[in-house]
Amino acid sequence: MARSDTDDKVRRGVARTLGLVTSLIVLLGLLGLWASFGFYRLNPGEAAVILRLGKYRTTEVREGLRWHLPPPIESREMVNVGLVAREQFGDIDTAREAATLTETAMQTGDNNIVDLEFVVKYKIGNAFESRFRIADLRETLRDSSQAAMREVVGRNSVDDVLSEKRGLIQDEAAELLQTILERYESGLFVEGIELQEVQPPASVRDAFDDVIAAAQDRNRKVNEAEGYANEVLPRARAEASEVVESAIGYRDSKIAEARGEAERFLAILREYQKAPEITRKRLYLETMEEVLPDVEKVIIEPGTASVLPYLPLGAARREPKP
Amino acid sequence: MIRLLVVIMVLAAVALGLTALGRQGIGPVLVTQEDQQRILLLLGNPRDEHTEPGVSLRLPLLEEMRTFDRRWLHLASQPKEIQTTDRERIVVDNYVIWRIDDPLQFYKSFPTGISEAETQIGQQVRAKVREVIGQHTLVEVLKDERAEIMEEIAEKSGEALERFGIDINDVRINRTELPRGAEENVYARMRAERERQARKNRAEGEEQARRIRAEADREAQIVVAEARGQAEIERGKGDAEAAGIYAEAYSTDAEFYAFLRGLEAYRKTLGEGTTMVLPPDHEFFRLLSQGSERSGSGPSD
Repeated sequence: MARSDTDDKVRRGVARTLGLVTSLIVLLGLLGLWASFGFYRLNPGEAAVILRLGKYRTTEVREGLRWHLPPPIESREMVNVGLVAREQFGDIDTAREAATLTETAMQTGDNNIVDLEFVVKYKIGNAFESRFRIADLRETLRDSSQAAMREVVGRNSVDDVLSEKRGLIQDEAAELLQTILERYESGLFVEGIELQEVQPPASVRDAFDDVIAAAQDRNRKVNEAEGYANEVLPRARAEASEVVESAIGYRDSKIAEARGEAERFLAILREYQKAPEITRKRLYLETMEEVLPDVEKVIIEPGTASVLPYLPLGAARREPKP
Repeated sequence: MIRLLVVIMVLAAVALGLTALGRQGIGPVLVTQEDQQRILLLLGNPRDEHTEPGVSLRLPLLEEMRTFDRRWLHLASQPKEIQTTDRERIVVDNYVIWRIDDPLQFYKSFPTGISEAETQIGQQVRAKVREVIGQHTLVEVLKDERAEIMEEIAEKSGEALERFGIDINDVRINRTELPRGAEENVYARMRAERERQARKNRAEGEEQARRIRAEADREAQIVVAEARGQAEIERGKGDAEAAGIYAEAYSTDAEFYAFLRGLEAYRKTLGEGTTMVLPPDHEFFRLLSQGSERSGSGPSD
């Protein structure tokens, strides 16, 4: 009896223990199954916003297999934070001509109008804010981009927008847009704004083109004039050096000539001083010899009344010559 | 011991079950998400508070809940034509960023829901836009005070809408346009300005080109004239030095120089075509008239 009692006790104890173990195993299995709902995989460029009972707990950004407390305690929102998205304003490819026009025509600070197409590149910088702090993300982005770009364009003149300040306008608009988006707790990060087509309105485009053509005309005329100047000045310098050089030539030749003649005179003088009378006579006669043969000579006795009767003589004598 | 464990587990399971139900909006447990805010109505009378994100409790069946968005909401407006103080007309388009700041107040003001609120916001903002822009000139709106004007509109709209439990973050002008018809005037003015600019460019080109040419001509003239001056100086030097040399040499025997130079002159001046009338007793003919006899003191043959 006692024996069967103890047997019974043991059997009951074993059964209880077995039941307990079984139920524990089942329980642990259920717990594990439940816990497994908390596993999730995070791919590169993704972030998981974790809420505990609806309240923000953390943002997980490390990629790989992650775990949070299983639902309904915690829940997650997956957000793509790696993708740089593009929002186009005034796409020439869209067929909505009229809509595009109002989207791109902007008033400049000097009350002109320019057609301006641009792209906003952005990504999600704060996953939590982008999902839980702002409702109409895309509409808000589009409207605030327009507002930022138009505000910056409005600060500038039409010439600034069309020409050299393009880069500046891009940067200013991007900066302003970032400020605005932060004010809305949008969680968006502006990577940059790119101006694409920037043009004067179609109906006045030819007048703008003509200004450019006129500027080119101006440059061409200036270039031509500079070409002329580059030609005239060397030519003048050439002429100048010619004039100076020939004058120097004249000077040197005059001096050389004078030296020569002086030398010659001094040489003759030296000879002359050796026998003055003779030399004097010789020189005289030599000269006469040279001079007189070609000269018409009329020899007249001094005191003759008139030379007239003799004058034609030479001429008459020469007449028979051919 | 085991019993206690079982009790805890059952309680935990119940809590989880209620939470799961609460997420579906059923039961005494309320789970409010980060983007939500809720008010509870006991038989139609609202409790004097709204829920924060997290868990809160309610009386099941008796308390009814209303859920509102807690996020910033976007409202676009219709473009409207406004006259500025300098009598320019301008079409202004704006948007509003707002949110429900006090759900209780909001619920009392707009029991039918959000579209009623949007109508109210639209009206208030439109009035403020008209009021503020109407006090500024066109240039101020476009350029000088745009940011300040928008800030002022947002502030005034915020004040007007605060009593509805609405918080205005921003009223922003995203588009300003010219009214229909006014565009043509602007285009005409733009065209005139460009034409003036083009003419100016061309005239400036002409001016610069002419100046460059004139400067070049002037410089060239100066260079040549200076060279001519230099040349005259050089010639003068030559003449002067030559004269000096002649004078120095000839002054050693001036009389002989005169003689020699005289002979030279004869050589150059006398020649063919010259007729000389010579007396027979000219020195040249002395031998001719005197014969071979010696003349004067000279020895005779």
